Amino acid sequence: MTVARFLARRLLVAIPVALGILFVAFMLIRVGDQDPVAMLAGPMADAPMLDRIRAELMLDQPLLTQFWAYIQRAAQGDLGMSWQGNAAVTHEIAEHLPATLELVTLAVGLGTLIGVPIGLHAAQRPNGWFDQFSRFGSLFGFSLPTYWLGLMAIFVFFFLLGWAPAPMGRISMMVTPPDPVTGSVLIDSLLARNWEAAWSAASQLVLPVGCFTLVATAPIIKQTRAIAIEVMGSDYIRYARACGFPPRVIRRIAMRAALVPVLTFIGAEFTSLLAAASLIEFVFAWGGLGHWGLNAILLGDFAAVQGYVLTLAIASVLVFILVDLAVLLLEPRAQARG
Amino acid sequence: MSVTLPAPSAMDRVVGVLRRSPTFAIGFAILLFYAALAAFADLLAPLPPTLSFPYETLKPPGTGQFILGTDGNGMDVLSRTIYGARYAFGIAVPAGIIMVVVGIPLGLLAGWKGGWLDEVLLRVLDVLRAFPTIILAMAVVAAMGPGFLNVILVIGFLDSPIFARIVRAEVLALRNATFVRAAVAAGNPEWRVLLVHILPNVILGATAQLPLRMAWAVRISATLAFIGIGVQAPAPEWGAMIRQGAEYVISGEWWVALFPGLALIGMVLGLNLAGDGLSDLLDPKRRASGK
Amino acid sequence: MTLLEVDDLHVEFAARGLDNRVRVASALNGVSFKVEAGEVLGLVGETGAGKSLTALAAMGLLRPPARIPRGAIRFEGRPLIGLPDSAMARIRGRRMTMIVQSPLTSLDPLKRIGDQLIRMQRVHGSASRAEARAKAEAMLAAVRIPDPKRRMQAWPHELSGGMAQRVLIAMALVNDPALVIADEPTTGLDVTVQAQVLDTLRDLVRERGLGALVITHDLGVVAHYCQRVAVMFAGRIVEDGPVREVFARPAHPYTQALIASTPGRIAQLGWTVTGGTPPDLYNLPEGCLYRDRCLRAAPACLVAPPRREIGPAHGAACHFAGEAA
Repeated sequence: MTVARFLARRLLVAIPVALGILFVAFMLIRVGDQDPVAMLAGPMADAPMLDRIRAELMLDQPLLTQFWAYIQRAAQGDLGMSWQGNAAVTHEIAEHLPATLELVTLAVGLGTLIGVPIGLHAAQRPNGWFDQFSRFGSLFGFSLPTYWLGLMAIFVFFFLLGWAPAPMGRISMMVTPPDPVTGSVLIDSLLARNWEAAWSAASQLVLPVGCFTLVATAPIIKQTRAIAIEVMGSDYIRYARACGFPPRVIRRIAMRAALVPVLTFIGAEFTSLLAAASLIEFVFAWGGLGHWGLNAILLGDFAAVQGYVLTLAIASVLVFILVDLAVLLLEPRAQARG
Repeated sequence: MSVTLPAPSAMDRVVGVLRRSPTFAIGFAILLFYAALAAFADLLAPLPPTLSFPYETLKPPGTGQFILGTDGNGMDVLSRTIYGARYAFGIAVPAGIIMVVVGIPLGLLAGWKGGWLDEVLLRVLDVLRAFPTIILAMAVVAAMGPGFLNVILVIGFLDSPIFARIVRAEVLALRNATFVRAAVAAGNPEWRVLLVHILPNVILGATAQLPLRMAWAVRISATLAFIGIGVQAPAPEWGAMIRQGAEYVISGEWWVALFPGLALIGMVLGLNLAGDGLSDLLDPKRRASGK
Repeated sequence: MTLLEVDDLHVEFAARGLDNRVRVASALNGVSFKVEAGEVLGLVGETGAGKSLTALAAMGLLRPPARIPRGAIRFEGRPLIGLPDSAMARIRGRRMTMIVQSPLTSLDPLKRIGDQLIRMQRVHGSASRAEARAKAEAMLAAVRIPDPKRRMQAWPHELSGGMAQRVLIAMALVNDPALVIADEPTTGLDVTVQAQVLDTLRDLVRERGLGALVITHDLGVVAHYCQRVAVMFAGRIVEDGPVREVFARPAHPYTQALIASTPGRIAQLGWTVTGGTPPDLYNLPEGCLYRDRCLRAAPACLVAPPRREIGPAHGAACHFAGEAA
């Protein structure tokens, strides 16, 4: 079972799902009552002009014909033009994606560092005081609306205390941004040894990442706890006790066993936060992919919405494949299954 | 030990449930509170929710009759927050009914019959799992246009497959159970086996999910209103109120966004606590592992 | 020398019901038996009689809500109840080991067979890696696993049920214990494989002069592999004695029913099977726990029967033991 064959097989499964997602998005925005043509042409346009634009965008064709044409062009890397930005959708995505990745990666990373140990500890004594406490905390995190949390953080840390910079974008407008290399303003500034820009980028990150981390941590705690409890009740842990292994050894066996399902869950969490980022980006004027996609949805920018959805689908497929690869390395049974 | 105890009273049962799952108890109490807010909003709210005092805009809490202050339209924040409970229940309850009415039969049939229906359901679930539901909900509502009814329909139908999956899994587990096979062998028609023998056994598991899914419904409807495509202001919907308050936060008028947000969190937390506790109470396996 | 001595052991479970009542299940109600060095004792009884629970108690593996309100367990003369974990750890897995019933799910799924055998030795002793590896390989050969060198590299999921059970036997014997407890070691295996695995276990126990406690619901296993037998019912030992004695002259009505219900003997001996369920553990009746199912039940049975000697080392807890039916 080579890695290449494994990858090929995963892609074969993933492509129909991605196409299905795209199809749903494609149909949804078109059956709605938004008319992009009128918006695009402006108030001065007359009927023949509207018809001409409609024909240009193939909007007068049957839906399936439109979808097929879109797929063909997408396969060649052409996702159409975004009307709001008047630019190629691929270009817009490339420009906005790094900002979102920066935010989500940090939130998921911190959420993992905080959530996994809490979940593991809670599972040591189910229904003990720490477990009840962490369970309440995680349910509370589940109940927090990110955007509201962001607004309150802005009020407290920007307006009241003045510790945080204005919630407008990824770097202060008074600072020259570094040349984009990785797309992360923070990393780019560090690479360019531009300490002023790095400090500004870091301070812009604190509030959105902090809010997002709170929300990201809750499901990680809950899931880690459930996985750890299941592992601790498994036959092999009971057998390890019967073998007289000391707690240290048993804990190590349990941790290794929990690693794979926890990793799988965090992968899924990453993709769902990629979408949820749109709200926190909206509040902090972050200008990432989520913000851009949300605007596209609100404005009925067809090509951009499709591109956004396609990007999310591809990202989730990629993350699942990466997780599967990691599982393949960690888990002997997966190698047998292939 | 051999003394026969009298039959447990209703009080014993209530206390037993509270002890077993304080989570459920707290959640249930919170929900009762919100239900009271919604039911008696007319009595509890000091002012009508959309009555505007044009000369009293953005008054801080404690100004005159405005206990929690006024918003940018000069409407009373406290009254609007209380009336918001009606919107929350008004969306969560019908959406929950749609989930149950659509999802449970779908899951029953898919799990029992298998075949193309099951195949289609599984594919839809694959797509839904890979597709962030929040984006889907936004896209659909944006396409269908804002409005109370659209929000309910979108939330209800988007979550139905999740119910179907839970029910389907339980049906699959029960399909080969001895009592089901005995019922089939005894010559019961299929619909009877499904309704009389399987449905009662799967319905509990699905019920435990209902509060959690309703929590999701309340959250999503507020989110949709917040980005401006759900229920529209001046309707006293919490998400719409937070949207109104958002622009004032940066200039220091915090109360417009704070209170509806707290109300929203409380309600969602209540539903989440109740649902989490309920699944503990109903799941004997988790109960046993709880020691 | 007596290896394991269980004396008047009681185990109960306390749990609070949904109606807020504490309910106590009396799972073991005075279990007493001994395992001598070099002896194989069969512990037999129906599901729920408390066989596995007895084994767990002996291994010191009971966890709340299970508790031991009364009784004693002695291993090589040392009382085990109340022994601190650190002291128990020197016994469990080293002097007293266990073979469990679900071999495929009990092995650590993320470690190769050889490494698990090595870990078992290194956790409990100071063997060097090389020594432990050599011994692990020898042990796999001893449990008759073909090509042990290659099998050292196998993952648990690659093994058949019979192979996995052999690995568990190897795990149990690799530290040269004094006593092995085998809890239903062959449930879930094919009949032919069962016999092979049990033969292997018996030969190894005999060769090494170990004591063994074999828990089973299968009288055939007892007849073939044990020297002595203890019959359990509702958390009590109702009859114990040398296997030949007990099979030839069962004194307790339950033992008689058990033997009668073993296929092939029913016609031969003409005993009738008594049906029925075990008593309600939450609400144990006074007196003999078997009387509701017993054909010979009499007013005397309202008093708990003491163990009555019937022959050399053969006794039964029945008022009528030894009398002709």
